[in-house]
Amino acid sequence: MSANHSALFWLAATLAAYVVSRVARHYVRAWWTSPLLLTCVLCLGLTIGLHAGYSEYMRGGQWLLLLLGPATVAFAVPIYEHRALIKRHWPTLAVGVTVGCGLAFGGGWLLSGLLGLSQEMRLSLLPRSVTTPFAMDFAREVGGAPDLAAVCVIATGILGASLGGMLLKVLPLRTALARGAMLGMGAHGAGVARALEAGEEEGAIAGLVMILAGVTCALIGPAISLLES
Amino acid sequence: MTLETTKMKNGLRGLVETAAQAAALIGLWWLCDAAVRAAGLPIPGGVAGMAVLLALLASGALPVGCLRLGAKGLLNHMLLFFVPAAVVLRDHAELLGSTGLKVLAVIIVGIVSVMAGTALAVELHIRLRSRHVR
Repeated sequence: MSANHSALFWLAATLAAYVVSRVARHYVRAWWTSPLLLTCVLCLGLTIGLHAGYSEYMRGGQWLLLLLGPATVAFAVPIYEHRALIKRHWPTLAVGVTVGCGLAFGGGWLLSGLLGLSQEMRLSLLPRSVTTPFAMDFAREVGGAPDLAAVCVIATGILGASLGGMLLKVLPLRTALARGAMLGMGAHGAGVARALEAGEEEGAIAGLVMILAGVTCALIGPAISLLES
Repeated sequence: MTLETTKMKNGLRGLVETAAQAAALIGLWWLCDAAVRAAGLPIPGGVAGMAVLLALLASGALPVGCLRLGAKGLLNHMLLFFVPAAVVLRDHAELLGSTGLKVLAVIIVGIVSVMAGTALAVELHIRLRSRHVR
């Protein structure tokens, strides 16, 4: 295959994997039809079956990855639309996001150090509980690997959605605010989907907390890179 | 005109509008990315673009209806945009062994501590605040 053909092929293959996953989700609601998991598995399986490496796949895949920039810009719209919610609950939201980010970044840094993981892996693990575009930007800034960071984010989303469901049953949470903040902070997009199953208010809070955690991460990143230099 | 063709026309119009608005967001990102690079600022173009768009919306210079569909479209399908990065696992065979287990441990311990900590902090804050009000 020529370079141009393989770029087009992998772009089309990824789109097809995404559509198949969405359709599968529509008909079968099981843990393995999570579009996040299924699209990744299909793409990985295809590259293994066709003996294509990451760099060959990325000739096509990079064009999709590029759209994460505009998606970050798009987050301004839900922030603006939730302004009433922010105004009403900002002290509580600030507490949740600060504690959550502190535990995610601090705890992750300590534990990965104790386990003796490499510096690159540790830095890529840091933003795992933040939605992907912000997490990849963060990893790029602090000297981690953006694509490894994305893998950590995806794993956190897949596992977090089900662990979050269990925690919802175990923890004595009386408020929708706590339930939503927990899922949005712990499992970003996948957590928001889980929160929407718990209730509309939970879903809105989870979505907002996910974005606020992303913005916080976007502020921490340049600060760390300035400290490093 | 029958109901069906009206429906199809509306659907098509929605699609075109979504695409046009998404294109506008891509344009805004491209401009901000270029500006950030030119200025040598240590922030990503997307984050700068988000700040600019938020300022435009908050100041009333841009009605949110102009971009709502496009933003929704981009965010609903964000999964498609970052999934390619997962294929990097092809280059990281070490993650199939003990390194992978360690990473998984950090992720699982992280999820439980972050979720429990966040939920309890929020719940506690609300209870303290309501007591204060009384």
